Amino acid sequence: MDRTLSEKESFELIRQMISTAKNNLQKGMGKIFLLWGYLVALISLANFILLVVLTGEAQYNSYYLWALMGLGYPVHWMWIRKIEHARMITTYVEKMMTWVWVAFAISIVTVVLGLVCSSLLVMNRMTMPGQEFLHWFQWLFMPPFLVCLYGLALFISGKAYQFRPMVTGGIICWLGALFLLVSLHHPQVLELQQAVICLCALAGFVVPGHLLSRKEKSHV
Amino acid sequence: MFKELDPLLHSPLRLAVMSVLIGSHEADFMYLKKVTNATSGNLSIQIDKLREAGYITVTKSFRGKMPRTTCRVSPEGITAFETYVEALKSYLPQ
Repeated sequence: MDRTLSEKESFELIRQMISTAKNNLQKGMGKIFLLWGYLVALISLANFILLVVLTGEAQYNSYYLWALMGLGYPVHWMWIRKIEHARMITTYVEKMMTWVWVAFAISIVTVVLGLVCSSLLVMNRMTMPGQEFLHWFQWLFMPPFLVCLYGLALFISGKAYQFRPMVTGGIICWLGALFLLVSLHHPQVLELQQAVICLCALAGFVVPGHLLSRKEKSHV
Repeated sequence: MFKELDPLLHSPLRLAVMSVLIGSHEADFMYLKKVTNATSGNLSIQIDKLREAGYITVTKSFRGKMPRTTCRVSPEGITAFETYVEALKSYLPQ
């Protein structure tokens, strides 16, 4: 039955209900962070080891390891479907953050696709002097770009969710990107890039992922 | 001078539902039931009243094989809620 509220009761009810929606933390997001974090960290670590061990042309073949990133997508979609299935409320922050990560994924695909296409376009028509060097050199820009994008998405998410480890992870990724750009001419640039990607994946995704999972458990 | 309070919002359950929806993008019927401690029947009636007034939109879909009801506040609902809060303020001692 409907009963009338006093003005004070109305304000208290509004405050209480709004806060229940605000404190909602979507369960399962920590797992998504761990999936991509560990995948990137392991691939970059393996790539780093192969770059150190292998010599000559074989060194460059180690980059094919990155195709293993594709393994993450089916697992990612399976877990996202589970999260969506269990989702009972969507806050404005969550809605906005979904779009931030969609924009992040589009940016990653744009950078990778752009560089691959540019490489394929010139591969068989290198006539100008120095073109081969430029063809090789353009690939060095991919890791700093990608790590910079990690930083952007992590920083925004961390600030929106008020989750400090994610903010810290974002800042570490930006510093990593800066370091990679500064060290573009370093003799061991290839190895350095993989090592920094690995560290950034650990700091930006694995550590916040574990902390997020722990936080989710304590909210159940 | 006391302003008139919207009778549709000046009821505990309807106000609770509107407050949750104001603070979120959308909410599931089961979530609203959980946070308001209401019975399914009563909550359905109150949600229907809010929907008829145009304050919220209700979407029915399926989650696997289970039916799912999702509620979202409409622009009219946001305006009504803001007007209600403004009116409430006039009752507070200055």
